[in-house]
Amino acid sequence: MAYHSPYRAAPHINAPPDQGFLWNIFQKVDMDRSGVISDSELQQALSNGTWTPFNPVTVRSIISMFDRENKGGVNFNEFAGVWKYITDWQNIFRNYDRDNSGFIDKNELKQALTGFGYRLSDQFYGTLIEKFDRQRKGQVAFDDFIQCCIVLQRLTDVFRRYDTDQDGWIQVSYEQYLSMVFNVV
Amino acid sequence: MQGYPAGVHPPPGAHGAHYGGGSQYRPAAAAAPYGGAGGAPYGGYGSPAQGVPYGQGPRGPSAAYAGGQAPGGPYGGYGAQPQPGGAYGHQGPAGNIPPGVSPEAFQWFQTVDTDHSGFITLKELRQALVNSNWSAFSDETCLMMINMFDRTRTGRMDVFGFSALLGFMQQWRALFQQYDRDRSGTINGNELHQALAQMGYNLSPQFTETLVGRFAVRGGRPGIQLDRFIQVCTQLQSMTQAFRERDQSMTGNVRLSYEDFLSGAVQRLM
Repeated sequence: MAYHSPYRAAPHINAPPDQGFLWNIFQKVDMDRSGVISDSELQQALSNGTWTPFNPVTVRSIISMFDRENKGGVNFNEFAGVWKYITDWQNIFRNYDRDNSGFIDKNELKQALTGFGYRLSDQFYGTLIEKFDRQRKGQVAFDDFIQCCIVLQRLTDVFRRYDTDQDGWIQVSYEQYLSMVFNVV
Repeated sequence: MQGYPAGVHPPPGAHGAHYGGGSQYRPAAAAAPYGGAGGAPYGGYGSPAQGVPYGQGPRGPSAAYAGGQAPGGPYGGYGAQPQPGGAYGHQGPAGNIPPGVSPEAFQWFQTVDTDHSGFITLKELRQALVNSNWSAFSDETCLMMINMFDRTRTGRMDVFGFSALLGFMQQWRALFQQYDRDRSGTINGNELHQALAQMGYNLSPQFTETLVGRFAVRGGRPGIQLDRFIQVCTQLQSMTQAFRERDQSMTGNVRLSYEDFLSGAVQRLM
C-alpha cells in the first residue's frame, strides 16, 4: 500500500531501540531528575532543524498522547513511545524534504499526505500551509508538519465517527459541531 | 469517495495513539442534552445578547486601542508592574510613543520586550502573563494571542499588536472577574455555563462541563483559569462563526463534506 513506503524505506526504525541507549537519552532530557520529562524539558531537547524553538503546541500534543496518568509529562516507559513517534516522523519528513532545507513546501506536503491516504484539494493544501507555517516562509518546518498531521488526524478520526455510512458526508447540530472541532483546540 | 485514508492511519498514529483530549467528546454525549433547541430553530447560538460587553463577538476587539488603564488588580494578569519613570528611565520621553499606542501600553511593551528587539516573542509573552494564582499562561493561549495580534506575520508582535492585545486582555479579565462569582480565581462549570449563556451561546450544561474538564488545571481547583477562559471563549466564537457560515438556512444543523469540515476547522482554529 502506498502509504507504507516511507515507513518501510527505513527498516531499522521498526526495531525497538536498545533500552540502555534510550535510558541515556532519557536521563539527559530529564534535566531536573524528576523521573518525568515535562513539556519544557522535551521542548529543549528537540530541534526542528532551524534555529527556532520547537513548537510548544506540538510538544504538548505529543506528550498528551503518551502521558497515561495525565501527570503532565512522560516517564521512562512512556518516553520509549515518544522517542519512536518522533523518530518515525523524522524519517517521513526527511523523505519529503529532499533538499534538506528543514522545510517542506506545499507540493511536498501534498505528496506526504497523499502517501498517508488523504485525498484533498490543492486549495486545501494552501490552507494547511497558511495555518501551520509558523515561521511565515510559505513552507512548514518539522515541528509544524507534525502538528499539521496531528490536527488532520484528530479531525479525520472524529469525522469518521460521525460518518457512520462512510460516504464522506455528515450532518451535525451546532453543539455536535463544536465538540468535534474542540478536539483540536 | 470519502477522501480520508481508508481504514488506515498515517504511520506514526498507527501504533496506538491514545489522544489525551479526544475521548471526552463522544457523539453520544453530544447528542443527548439539547432536545430540539427549544422551538427556536436557531436557538440563538452564539448570537450574543445585546448589551453584553462582548455583544458583537470580540474576534479582534476594536475597542482595544481605547484602553489606557494600567493592568493590575486582584487578578494580576501581568507579571510585574512597570515602574513609571523609574527603573525604565532610559526610555525616551513620551514623544517616542507611536501614534495610537497609550503611554501605559508603550511602557508595558518595553518591560515585556526583555531583549529590546522591538518585538514580543512567545517566550517573552509567556513570561509576562500570569493567572490569578501566578501560574504562567499556557503556551496554547499565548500562541493563539500572538497569532491574533501578530500584524507583522512574523510570529511575534510589534508595539501596535501588543497594545491591541492589552485591550483584549483587559476586557476578558473584566469578564472573568465578573463571572467568577465565588472569587475563587477559577471559573467552574456552572459559572462558565452562565457566562456563555449571557454572551448569547445556547449550550448545554454538559457541554460546558466537558470544556471545563478538558481545560482545568491538573490537580488544581476545579475550574478554568483566565488563560483557558480566554482561549475557550475565543475559539468558541471562531468555531461558531465557521458553523454559521455553513448554516445558511439557520436551522442549527449542517451537512458537511469531509474536506469542508476540515477546512472550516483548520481555518477557524485560532
